[in-house]
Amino acid sequence: MEGKKKRLLVLYASQTGNAMDAAERVGRESEHGGCPSVEVLSMDHFDPNSLPSESTVVFVVSTTGQGDPPDSMKVFWRFLLRRNLGSSWLEELHYAVFGLGDSGYQKYNFAAKKLDKRLQDLGARSVIEKGLGDDQHPSGYEGALDPWLMSLWKTLNHINPTLLPEMSEILHPTMRKLEHPKFKIVYHASTEATQHDSQISDLKDVKNMIERARSMSPSLHGHDHGEPHYLLKMVENEQLTKGDDGRNVRQFVLEALASVVEYQVGDVLDVLPGQNSASVDAFIKRCKLDPDSYITIEPWSGEKDSLDEYVNGSSDHPIQLRTFISRAMDIASASPRRYFFEVMSYYASAEHEKEKLQYFASPEGRDDLYQYNQKEHRTVLEILEDFPSVELPFEWLVQLVPPLKKRSFSISSSPLTHPNQVHLTVSVVSSVTPFKRNRYGLCSSWLAGLDPKKDGEVLVPSWIQRGTLPIPHPMVPLILIGPGTGCAPFKAFIEERAMQNLVEPTAPILFFFGCRTRDTDFLYKDFWLAHSSDGVLSEKKGSGFYVAFSREQERKVYVQHKIREESARVWRLLDGGAAIYLAGSSTKMPADVTEALEEVVAKENGVTRESAARWLKTLEKAGRFNIETWS
Amino acid sequence: MGETNISLVLTAEIALPIHTIRQFQMDPASGNLVVITQCESLGCNLPFDVASMDTVIALSEIENFREQWFVEFARVLKPSGKLMLHKQATSLEQEEASLNLVRQLLTSGFIEVEASDLNCSNQSVTIKGTKASWTVGSSYPLKNKKTRSVNILPNIPINEESDIIDEDSLLTVEDLAKPQLPIVGDCEVGKARKACKNCTCGRAEAEAKAEAEEGKLQKLDLTQDQINNPRSACGSCGLGDAFRCGGCPYRGLPPFTLGEKVAFSGNMLVTDI
Repeated sequence: MEGKKKRLLVLYASQTGNAMDAAERVGRESEHGGCPSVEVLSMDHFDPNSLPSESTVVFVVSTTGQGDPPDSMKVFWRFLLRRNLGSSWLEELHYAVFGLGDSGYQKYNFAAKKLDKRLQDLGARSVIEKGLGDDQHPSGYEGALDPWLMSLWKTLNHINPTLLPEMSEILHPTMRKLEHPKFKIVYHASTEATQHDSQISDLKDVKNMIERARSMSPSLHGHDHGEPHYLLKMVENEQLTKGDDGRNVRQFVLEALASVVEYQVGDVLDVLPGQNSASVDAFIKRCKLDPDSYITIEPWSGEKDSLDEYVNGSSDHPIQLRTFISRAMDIASASPRRYFFEVMSYYASAEHEKEKLQYFASPEGRDDLYQYNQKEHRTVLEILEDFPSVELPFEWLVQLVPPLKKRSFSISSSPLTHPNQVHLTVSVVSSVTPFKRNRYGLCSSWLAGLDPKKDGEVLVPSWIQRGTLPIPHPMVPLILIGPGTGCAPFKAFIEERAMQNLVEPTAPILFFFGCRTRDTDFLYKDFWLAHSSDGVLSEKKGSGFYVAFSREQERKVYVQHKIREESARVWRLLDGGAAIYLAGSSTKMPADVTEALEEVVAKENGVTRESAARWLKTLEKAGRFNIETWS
Repeated sequence: MGETNISLVLTAEIALPIHTIRQFQMDPASGNLVVITQCESLGCNLPFDVASMDTVIALSEIENFREQWFVEFARVLKPSGKLMLHKQATSLEQEEASLNLVRQLLTSGFIEVEASDLNCSNQSVTIKGTKASWTVGSSYPLKNKKTRSVNILPNIPINEESDIIDEDSLLTVEDLAKPQLPIVGDCEVGKARKACKNCTCGRAEAEAKAEAEEGKLQKLDLTQDQINNPRSACGSCGLGDAFRCGGCPYRGLPPFTLGEKVAFSGNMLVTDI
């Protein structure tokens, strides 16, 4: 087959990390079997257009509670559903699907089942029957994965013996020993170039340093969009919520120093959070590292040649160890995966620690690990402190510590109203774990702690990205639904339309907002009321502004109730070509609102709910029903 | 301000000859006239405030005279404002077209609706109506169901790339049936079931409640003495959460050395001691 990649590709879609764990295990086992080239990728880092050029793909997909695929699969899946792909698009592809689900739910493993069928319909050839992992099984998904993998390797070996030349290693592993880390750390002597680094203060150099640090991280490679677009200064940091129920929603106003921030309504700001200096120091001390050394990270090729393409541009310019840790490794927030505990067990010198770590890494210990690690939001630093006899080499830390991720926020300002400023409306994440430990969101609490009044204050590394909400045309009527912080992008839309209305006619807007009470969390109350008495949200412009206060009366009132109340008006605007935008937290709200909209369409037209639901789906395909939610 | 009589003339055509306007006894130079051509591109939204027009004249080529348009006319017309519709129709169609328009105006809330005498030579029908003199509320009557066509909901055009198949068609009858739970032995109680991260079915609350119950029964509150001078019969309390048993009073605290005061990190919730 000309041009076909001869490798094994493992594509996963993970919501809480389990599918990723499973996928990495598939990759590791194939390497034990001598597979010359294997790559494990998340589906949102793979372009579905290139599927036909692969020869063998293993899909590992989770199904979430509502029967939906994970967020990282949404775009990929939508692509596969296109009618115009045809039934021979994947003719030359061998594949296998393993699903992670829970048979306690009606929609058990729906994502995997649909994927399997669709791949077949597109002409691909299934190597073995799909495997269905079940959380209800005593050993969890491993109960199904172990036998399924064995069957997979045997069948693959029949079809293509060159894929797993050391097949016997899988069937009869000689010794359960730890493989070699995938990367090596190269330490560099101090030179002029490195001396310069320690005095970096110029903005341009800071951006460059961040890019170099992050491009060297294997867990981030290729997926990080380079240098920050801006280093923004926080000029306002204001709490919007009142009252003492502990909720803290804040408005942040950020400005660029040496350039103009260019963005459009509907865009999101990606922020790289700073990590607490004391935590970074504690980590360095615990791992007995030299913070001032200069390093580069290179793939370890060992005896065989690695065919994978790798970490780009890193080997030229070494980076300070401390900088690498603070910009690219998440040491005090994200929880690591099961494999981290497995590797730790090899490096524990205390017997009871070794046993405990092996237990955590085993199928029997899965539940207890879940309790200790995921439910408690245990951080890498905490885990290392709980197992003091473990000395992990830096190579392993680089491979296994979760990467420091950027966080995305919908921008709540219009550049027309606030040139060169970016406004964010952020809820500071906080929760209490089952063991009564307080946990705070890394990025939201870091931003909340930045003080605009201090000079020489910390800057926010930021990127502007297109969000999923298409920019509204001024003559298109809008139905906006955004309870809580979901109102953020709509504040931007309304600011923009108000500006546009000064020079041209604009179409009406119906805005549905929701919060608990008017005194505690009625975000931007004055702004909405001003526009609704005499602006683009006013009755005389044909618009409307509706608020659902959920806790001001006995029964709960939410935005969906308001939508039903305004059924006729909503339909009238929809019939006139309106676009619907829905934003906010992703639990039940989107489903509830969609249900209310279906009822409105059904009622105003005398059709069935099913017809209304189908019509709304068509609206979605046509780009007139847009949803952006976050958890 | 004085009595300014504002009129709106709408047509779907590209241009409107002045003699047409004169025909309706309007003076194009009076400054109280708004003319909109190619009005289809407005998509049934008139960029005027509520009750701003005294008269609205809608001319022929607006083919469908959709319900939407009448609603808009009613909105921008002042109470008691006048509406005139003018539609091309051959002598064969005139009667039916006239009846249809009259009925539509009536159901849209106009009063004093009348068709001018059918004039075969003109090849057109003219209907007049008046907006009610009281302010109309924001509700509108439902469409007359008997006149509906089969495709009730408006058609939405989509481009080829956005055209996707219905994913539920990928599931079999078997898939849609209630899944079989795996056979679990009697002694394996409850532990295997877990709520998902963003649980919405109530399982998470039930689990949290169960855990809280368990905690209440087994966990003893920490006394000041236990913090200052920690002791451990089992020997594991000081090792950290990974080694502590379910009822350990020190659960949630960082590891400590027996005999030394336990150091709290800033993120502890401790009940009143």
